[in-house]
Amino acid sequence: MESFVVRYRNLLVLLALLVAQILGIAMQVRRSANGQVGSDSGDGRSVRLLRYWANSLVSPPERALHSSGSGVSGLWENYVDLRHVRQQNADLQKTVDRLRLEQAALLEDAKQGQRLQALLHFQEKYIYKTVAAQTIGTSGTDQSRVFYIDKGKNDGIDRDMAVITPDGIVGKIRDVFPHTAQVLAINDQSSGAGVILETTRIRGILRGNAAGQPQVEDVIRDQRIMPGETVLTAGGDEIFPRGMPVGVVQSVANDPERDGFVDVIVKPAAHLDQLDEVLVVTSTQPRFPPDQQRDMAASEASKGSETEQQKASDGMAEKLPGLIVPNVPTDQQPLNDTSNPTPVSKPPVAIHPDRFTPGNATTPTTEDAPATDGSGPRKKPAPKTPASNPNATPPASPQGENR
Amino acid sequence: MSVLSAESRREFEIHRYPVLIYALVPIAALVLQAWLPRVMGRFAWFDLPLVVTVFFALSRRNPIQGSILGGILGIAEDALTGHPIGINGIAKTLVGYLAASVGILVNVENHAIRLVMTFVLSLVGSMTYFFVVRFLLGMTIDTNWLMELYKALGNSLIALVLFPLLDRTKIRD
Repeated sequence: MESFVVRYRNLLVLLALLVAQILGIAMQVRRSANGQVGSDSGDGRSVRLLRYWANSLVSPPERALHSSGSGVSGLWENYVDLRHVRQQNADLQKTVDRLRLEQAALLEDAKQGQRLQALLHFQEKYIYKTVAAQTIGTSGTDQSRVFYIDKGKNDGIDRDMAVITPDGIVGKIRDVFPHTAQVLAINDQSSGAGVILETTRIRGILRGNAAGQPQVEDVIRDQRIMPGETVLTAGGDEIFPRGMPVGVVQSVANDPERDGFVDVIVKPAAHLDQLDEVLVVTSTQPRFPPDQQRDMAASEASKGSETEQQKASDGMAEKLPGLIVPNVPTDQQPLNDTSNPTPVSKPPVAIHPDRFTPGNATTPTTEDAPATDGSGPRKKPAPKTPASNPNATPPASPQGENR
Repeated sequence: MSVLSAESRREFEIHRYPVLIYALVPIAALVLQAWLPRVMGRFAWFDLPLVVTVFFALSRRNPIQGSILGGILGIAEDALTGHPIGINGIAKTLVGYLAASVGILVNVENHAIRLVMTFVLSLVGSMTYFFVVRFLLGMTIDTNWLMELYKALGNSLIALVLFPLLDRTKIRD
């Protein structure tokens, strides 16, 4: 036995290492088995400890490399490569002026939209506070779309905070360390974000596919979904504020697993492969900023005056006489009141009355009446004679004739 | 001409390095593997922890040490991802074992042999990785073998430069 162990110790150690790791994977997958293998539903304590150790080992040199790289590039950009800066500055100033004008116009529209939302009691989350961060590293493998930023728990970062850029959403905080944080990008397979297609208003969940492209899954086939349509956050995931740009529809592919469903491939608005600076949304509030709240108060005040106007018109309506008053005899109804200065006008007398003239319909004869047994021939109705008396009795119904 | 057995040749040709090299080189490989893709983007066709695993496994010619080093580096790589820990660990454990086992049988001083071995072991590592992800975890994965070939080629070229540099640090008897 001893000779067996000595002879095959290399192989036995290899097998022991492999079996231990396979068991470890099985335990992790069991813990996160909610349909997504390797999802961020929560690592075990030992796994989290391993991640913490690895991060503590790798992040400080990464930060140092990033800082030195930034220093060198900053030296170049700030002191050496300053040609054409004056011209660029002038161009940028023009752009700023133009954007200010555009912003003023857009601000008016935005305020109006928010006032309308407030009137409908629409609860919207607005980005209240963000923390700017720089990306310092990646996962090191193509299969895991996570990256690291240089802000962590000490900077107010916490799990499940949204990470965005001015172009669009990037991902969410997956793991937090004291000075760094791990961001799960929207094109990772274990990510998830509630999105809505802007034009067709189709909702879905955005995940990364195996090729690293974000796609909206579980969408029922719809001919209206066309490439180029804008995709926005839906706001239902409690992570991303509603209405943020996600990207545009790149293509629509049939779901290989389910008939009638399609996967909408999305081209992300943010450049996920070339991220330098990102914003972490550290606080959202379901209220409007102070200036919008002032607008809402003004709107509420105008709403109150409208109510008063409505009340006044109701009071006036009660004082005015109605056409028909309940519990009053017919001859005493205001409609028949001859003392009314503006009596109800009667229709003029027809010069050539026919059967459609009010009060002048001819009484159908038995010949005109339809045969009850259906056996008798139907005769052509006799031509109507013009009635001289406009106050003739109204016609009886054919059924009454036959009775 | 004296004929040496595999065991005696292993003892004869075993390379030893300062402790600092054993500690710093794997850490540097992990840091650069995490940092360089940010700079190089999708052109980061290399796996530095795998190259380091192959180097030390070939130099030490001890399958147990090669397996353990590969396992540690793989687990550290996994810990930086969002995936379960152990995927890269299994792949690099196997690579470390195979590199050390083959290193006993061949002359690892030859650059061509090192180049070919790094290339082949990179592909073995990729195949093991995909096997674990696809069949043990049941995850869908985009298998781009052309990219894996590029990565194996990149690893070989890095090994061609890195191995002689690291050889200079070995302790001479």
